[in-house]
Amino acid sequence: MMDFTLYNQAPARVIAPTTAEELADCLREASTAGSAVVPWGGGTRQLLGGPPARYDVALSMAGLPRVIEYTPADMVISVEAGATLGQVQDVLAANGQWLPWDPPLPRQAMIGGLLASGAGGPLRLGYGSPRDWTLGLRVALADGRLVRSGSRVVKNVAGYDAHKLHIGALGTLGVIAEATFKVAPIPLRRQTLLAAFTSPTAPLEAISQLRQPPYQPISMVILNAVAEAAIPALHPFLPDRSAYLVVAVRFAGTPGAVARQIRAAVAQCVDLGARAIELNEADDVPIWEAIADFTRPMGDLLLRVGAPIGQQREMIRLIEMTTRARGWATARMVIAGVGLAYARWPIAGVPPEALAVALAELRERLATIGGYAVIEALPDASGIDRDTLDIWGPSPESLALMRSLRAAWDPAGILNPGRYVV
Amino acid sequence: MIRETLIAALQSAIGPEYVLHRPEELMLYEYDGSALDQAMPDVVVLPGSTAEVAAAVRVAANMGVPVVARGAGTGLAGGTVPDQGGMVISLARLNRVLTIDPDSRTAVVQPGVVNLDLSLAAAPYGLHFAPDPSSQRSSTIGGNAGSNAGGPHCLKYGVTTNHILAATLVLADGGVVRLGSSATDAPGYDLLGVVVGSEGTLGVITELTVRLTRNAEDVRTFLAVFDDLEAAGACVSAIIAEGIIPAALEMMSGEGIAAVEASVHAGYPPDARAVLLIEIDGLREDLADEAKRIAAICTASGASDLRAATDAAQRARLWAGRKGALAACGRIAPHYHIVDGVVPRSRLPEVLRYSEEVAARYGMKVVNIFHAGDGNLHPLLLFDLRVPGTRERAIAAGEEILKACVAAGGTISGEHGIGIEKRDYMPWLFSAQDLGVFADLRAVFDPAGVMNPGKLLPRVIG
Ligand SMILES: Cc1cc2nc3c(=O)[nH]c(=O)nc-3n(C[C@H](O)[C@H](O)[C@H](O)COP(=O)(O)OP(=O)(O)OC[C@H]3O[C@@H](n4cnc5c(N)ncnc54)[C@H](O)[C@@H]3O)c2cc1C
Repeated sequence: MMDFTLYNQAPARVIAPTTAEELADCLREASTAGSAVVPWGGGTRQLLGGPPARYDVALSMAGLPRVIEYTPADMVISVEAGATLGQVQDVLAANGQWLPWDPPLPRQAMIGGLLASGAGGPLRLGYGSPRDWTLGLRVALADGRLVRSGSRVVKNVAGYDAHKLHIGALGTLGVIAEATFKVAPIPLRRQTLLAAFTSPTAPLEAISQLRQPPYQPISMVILNAVAEAAIPALHPFLPDRSAYLVVAVRFAGTPGAVARQIRAAVAQCVDLGARAIELNEADDVPIWEAIADFTRPMGDLLLRVGAPIGQQREMIRLIEMTTRARGWATARMVIAGVGLAYARWPIAGVPPEALAVALAELRERLATIGGYAVIEALPDASGIDRDTLDIWGPSPESLALMRSLRAAWDPAGILNPGRYVV
Repeated sequence: MIRETLIAALQSAIGPEYVLHRPEELMLYEYDGSALDQAMPDVVVLPGSTAEVAAAVRVAANMGVPVVARGAGTGLAGGTVPDQGGMVISLARLNRVLTIDPDSRTAVVQPGVVNLDLSLAAAPYGLHFAPDPSSQRSSTIGGNAGSNAGGPHCLKYGVTTNHILAATLVLADGGVVRLGSSATDAPGYDLLGVVVGSEGTLGVITELTVRLTRNAEDVRTFLAVFDDLEAAGACVSAIIAEGIIPAALEMMSGEGIAAVEASVHAGYPPDARAVLLIEIDGLREDLADEAKRIAAICTASGASDLRAATDAAQRARLWAGRKGALAACGRIAPHYHIVDGVVPRSRLPEVLRYSEEVAARYGMKVVNIFHAGDGNLHPLLLFDLRVPGTRERAIAAGEEILKACVAAGGTISGEHGIGIEKRDYMPWLFSAQDLGVFADLRAVFDPAGVMNPGKLLPRVIG
């Protein structure tokens, strides 16, 4: 039995609709009754967003796990929102296809929740975001309307792309019932290079060179020593674990193209003073699952930091500056070439006010380069009063429009109240 | 009288020089790229800054006058045709590339920048703007965003919406708001995602931050020749089903091939029933492998010939044929109506055949010139509008073809937009509730309904 407790609040009821129509009906009734609803997929990302202002109903998506339509020859798949990403990948893999999307905990996380929470992973560099792969959605609005936008073909401009609004909206504009994706062929070969650096600046140089022709990495991350220590799957390849910065680079394509890039990348990294380890093809998938896993909620404060790609170096510097001054041992992973980083701040022994001050300071610095920081997860058990910590940071400039949109689709304010920016 | 007041107010807002109101000036703004729609604006303004756009919109909105944004006016669905009169805002003067950041691979541009000019400006950095509509020599980035334009290379690289990171939008009340962010995944609803492709109904875009794409290491271009139309369609389906995503996979059929050959001398065999233009790009080793697999599929699908461009000049000629195809078809008949439907790629052969049957039934010539790899059909119906009843027949034929696309699981527009021409077909795809939600969205941005009113949504909902 799943536990739907959230920030020490338990819902009065758990509802698990088994059809999209039932889902819509639940929401209509909740709107009429004014009951606050928390849509619940696999629960892997419920720690994103603040505590619900009210919480009456947990709306479990587990009753909507079906694949609706899949024509491999068209490379398009439609699934219900309660299917797990892992389940969808299995269906696709049987036909040599995949959704190039690698958030943590794919066997648990459900499609709807992953979309609603804007989850992503290192594949972002090579394949873009789920927004780019989502062709259409069927969504139940708070007032019980069950609506579609987009299409089931790879190109469509009929109607507004309203489905894009629900991606990353944390369920505050509606509950995703079904999703249609275009999918990709699984590359003939995927292979990874690990490069361990002792110099703090050489990894930055390496990733900057690895973004230039002829390289076409599909993923590239930089892990600091604390992060590397937190990912045991890496340890067999990095036996003497001194204060490393590890760059992991993944290539995909025909064996020839992958081999050429790996060869050149090894030479390049060695030139920059790294110890370079070329992984076997068989190690590729497990290593990246382990790396992606780094961004799942653990026992600390997980921050997601974003900035324009050209400001990546400065973004990393600002993150480090903020924690080094405080003597915190923070794990950090940069999704290089994308302009994203994840940092884990310790909470044991750190007063919440100190976290709040550090976060405000980081945000102020990031603002100078057009960046932002969001709390992706703060463990329930931390006992930190969430009012001291600003989850989302400064409001976007278009907040007024966002508010009126929300008011139009969720007039009773029942969907995840208090948890999102809007 | 109202018109005089409007003109005077606009003249004082942005200067008389850039307010056009004489009939001979307005005539240029009656049309877009489609032969079927036409309507005269009351006034045209050519603002030179975001502030001037906002000022002009405020004047119009205060008087309840419709506001129609216009880029190059090459749209094919009547999106810029002011069918309710009002003010056309031409973004032609906002035509500067403001910055190119090779490190971020982004550019900040004004909306009136011509698509190809942006790629030319990015070329010194080994970058380009990936959306490449066939109109790229004239259409603008703002118009591309307004219509969410596609193009041959969008098969691999995605359409316009995948390449816009942020935009400045002038709202219906003259307010200015910034949407999106250069920072990846910044929090907040993806309002930019609905503004792109909104055909000027949510506001006027006055600045864009766009993503630039790295040029590929190597490119190979092939021409596959077929004696049979359905075999060519089946070949496209087979390439996709094989898991190959070419950079571009274009088809041309029938008399269009000869017409293109006569006007462009691209090297197409004039007597072929259909040709495929196949381009792959990427790393050399990947291309060698893909080329082999594609050649095998073409042979198995019954291609009578497969030619590879041997140098850049040949490649450019093959593409000149494709990009000049619409103009070349002027040799076949004086007017055309280009239909824009999409079907699942496995359904291409049958819908292609059906489009020819429909054209024959209506006594019209048809040439299919289209983005086959995406399943995005463009049956080009050819006719002479001076023959009475032709306009109605062209519309009816197009309607039948689009109905077949919908029946096959597809859609009524892959890239040209809904505009005026297809607004009343929207209920084929969307329920009254779906359309109601679109209407809600519009009302959020434009409660008074002054931005390109009457476009994109059906005149009657439900
Ligand atoms: C020969 C030819 C080939 C074509 N090939 C293709 C093709 O391959 N792919 C394709 O997608 N299209 C194609 N088109 C259609 C057309 O070129 C595209 O729709 C293009 O994106 C329109 O750009 P434009 O600058 O001409 O915009 P316009 O036609 O001026 O405007 C298009 C729409 O966008 C809105 N708009 C314009 N500027 C703004 C702004 N600043 N803010 C908000 N809204 C705005 C307008 O109101 C209108 O609804 C072709 C057209 C022709 C004539």
